[in-house]
Amino acid sequence: MSTRNLLLALFSSALFTLVSCAEDEDNSPSVNAPASYTFERNGQSTVSFSGQTTRIKMATELVNALGNFDAATKSTLLEMYRNETPEGGDANPYQEAALNDSDKSVRSKVAASRDLFFTNTTEGTDIKNQFELWIESQVDEVFPNEEVLAKPGTAGQIADGSSTRYVSAKGLEYNQLVNKGLIGALMTDQMLNNYLSEAVLDENVNRELNESASVEEGQNYTTMEHKWDEAYGYAYGTAADPSNPNSTLSDNDIFLSKYIARVESDADFTGIADEIYDAFKLGRAAIVEHNYELRDEQANIIRKKVSEVIGIRAVYYLQQAKLKLEQDTPDYGSIFHDLSEAYGFIYSLQFTRQPNSNVPYHSGAEVNEFIEKLMNEGANGLWNVSPQTLEELSEAIASPFEFTVAEAASND
Amino acid sequence: MKNLLASLSLLLILFACSSEEEPEEFSEDQFDRKVMLTHWADNIIVPAYQQYNKELATLNAATQAFIQKPEMTELSTLRAAWLEAYKAWQWVSMFEIGKAEEVNLRNYTNIYPADTSAIGENIRAQNFKLELPSKYDEQGFPALDYLLYGLREDDEQIITVYQNSESHREYLSKVVERLQTLSGEVLEHWTDSYQDTFVDASGSSASSSVNKLINDYLFYYERMLRAGKVGIPAGVFSGSPLPHTVEGRYAKDISKVLLLEALNATQSFFNGQAFSGDAKGESLSTYLDYLNSIKDEEDLSANINSQFNSAREAIESLNQDFADQIINDNSAFLSAYDELQKVVILMKVDMFQALNIRVDYVDADGD
Repeated sequence: MSTRNLLLALFSSALFTLVSCAEDEDNSPSVNAPASYTFERNGQSTVSFSGQTTRIKMATELVNALGNFDAATKSTLLEMYRNETPEGGDANPYQEAALNDSDKSVRSKVAASRDLFFTNTTEGTDIKNQFELWIESQVDEVFPNEEVLAKPGTAGQIADGSSTRYVSAKGLEYNQLVNKGLIGALMTDQMLNNYLSEAVLDENVNRELNESASVEEGQNYTTMEHKWDEAYGYAYGTAADPSNPNSTLSDNDIFLSKYIARVESDADFTGIADEIYDAFKLGRAAIVEHNYELRDEQANIIRKKVSEVIGIRAVYYLQQAKLKLEQDTPDYGSIFHDLSEAYGFIYSLQFTRQPNSNVPYHSGAEVNEFIEKLMNEGANGLWNVSPQTLEELSEAIASPFEFTVAEAASND
Repeated sequence: MKNLLASLSLLLILFACSSEEEPEEFSEDQFDRKVMLTHWADNIIVPAYQQYNKELATLNAATQAFIQKPEMTELSTLRAAWLEAYKAWQWVSMFEIGKAEEVNLRNYTNIYPADTSAIGENIRAQNFKLELPSKYDEQGFPALDYLLYGLREDDEQIITVYQNSESHREYLSKVVERLQTLSGEVLEHWTDSYQDTFVDASGSSASSSVNKLINDYLFYYERMLRAGKVGIPAGVFSGSPLPHTVEGRYAKDISKVLLLEALNATQSFFNGQAFSGDAKGESLSTYLDYLNSIKDEEDLSANINSQFNSAREAIESLNQDFADQIINDNSAFLSAYDELQKVVILMKVDMFQALNIRVDYVDADGD
């Protein structure tokens, strides 16, 4: 074979390869994600996640009220969590009237996903109750000591630079546990383990209805479209422009959206906000085009990235606290604030989801071990924790993820 | 404000990156940091705290005299003593290290504006728990400013309050006492043991005394002097001016005096000027000269000094009462801010780079 023929042969096989690739792609209709999260049928929007918006707002009022020493009581706080009276009657605990009119609640969707808690209501109920315990402890332990200086074994206030933190006898800020714990138990669990779950998306005859464009009664969306939107709403439901949430990412809420923004601002992870948003858009477009394989690929991207946000923030706060603990004059107020945030994110790890699997990055049992280790180095909880323990926890938490402790440790 | 913060944090990021690229060993120079630290501790910091403590003792005596006999003469003496102590404070506030850092000295001494309704409530309820961090803005010099000048419309009425209210007398006394207790603790710690600890940590790591104190110094200049005394009241961070946030709001004609004291204190420290007398020693200025840092074909230390001087000139043209200045001609006030800001850039970027010291504080997470 002459050189020329050889080249020609190589060229042809290259051509063939190219063609065959193109043919592979042609097997499925191509799906294009729109520029923003906007989908319509007959000129009307098909996107709806008002229930998610409502729950994010309820959770926000609850978290803010936990710091309202003057006005909040145990019963108003629990009503904000349950949106009902202890007897199960209608409650009106919220500032925003529309929330009082709603029959939704935070508690009903805590640890309530199809994939993790459908047949595990025992654990789900324990977790729901755990939040009530934190709420009650804030009122029972921290409120009475508003004007007491915190010290080992005594709840009270402690300086964190020019801010004041209010901590338990063990140094915990219960409002942070509730805030950061809900990111996992409410937003992430509902998103990754419920609405993005095949068991939910494909339930019953959802595929058939989706393919025949049979919309729900009185609505403009198919059930499958709506489920996907509900997952979306747990991240972006309170954005100023929910179809284009990344432009206001850090101001959207005090939950998932805010911490996606925080991770995005770390140069090691820049791009993650768009990866999550783009996967939501493409997955939703795939549903419109009935491409379920593509839909599930996007769900797996979201699972991986949203789980990373929680893992990265858990490690970040542990590492920040470790750095401060190693100073000559440790600023305990600041350390406790970091570790309370870390505690909430660690708690949230049990609601993460490894892609292509049914398991979180860390199980509930592992999470309990982490917390045990964090809180029980001495009799006084965080007052006794050592830098070494914080390092070991960081390593253990990061190990199943692709990021390193060093990448997560700083914001730059 | 967003833009400013963004550009500041951009500067920080740029700076952080560039210092990461240069390994720490690179910065090892032959400048004797120990000599500089000794001079700082012995001839600047400790004498400044001694002076501050002395002024507080005078303030306490004047307070007790006023409480015994609440009359105009005693009030005038007390106000004068308060101002002298407030001026002396401007010479130590930048040294928030060691015990001062541990006890949060600055937060308990000079957070303004004072929360006057909380102070009123404390007096009414006889709540004197001044050791709580939630009561930063209910004590210190700003609380005294309110108690001595702002309690009522005129002096006679103020005096009447103290004549009639045991609670007011007690609160006044407790606030002064707390200032004295805290500053006493800090001075004692310096002379007891910290002077040696401070001088011995003469290396160039992030936890060395030079690196830490220079960060504290810059933080003070940037946040307390530039922003607190000028930027915040000028509205630089809020969009509209906030004249009620000036230092010495109720005494009215002292905000400029206090700012000039603070500016003189920071420039003197930069030049290693001894607290008493004309002696000079090793300092940031001589350190920079040693490193032969050049900017615009001039010494960086000369540049910084000339910028300090420009800032002083701009401030000297302002009214004694900054609230008045802001209301009548905020643009002159903003020009003074700009001059102060230029010092930040020279120090935070150029000086820190020349000294190869990393800025150890960033804008808070905000949550």
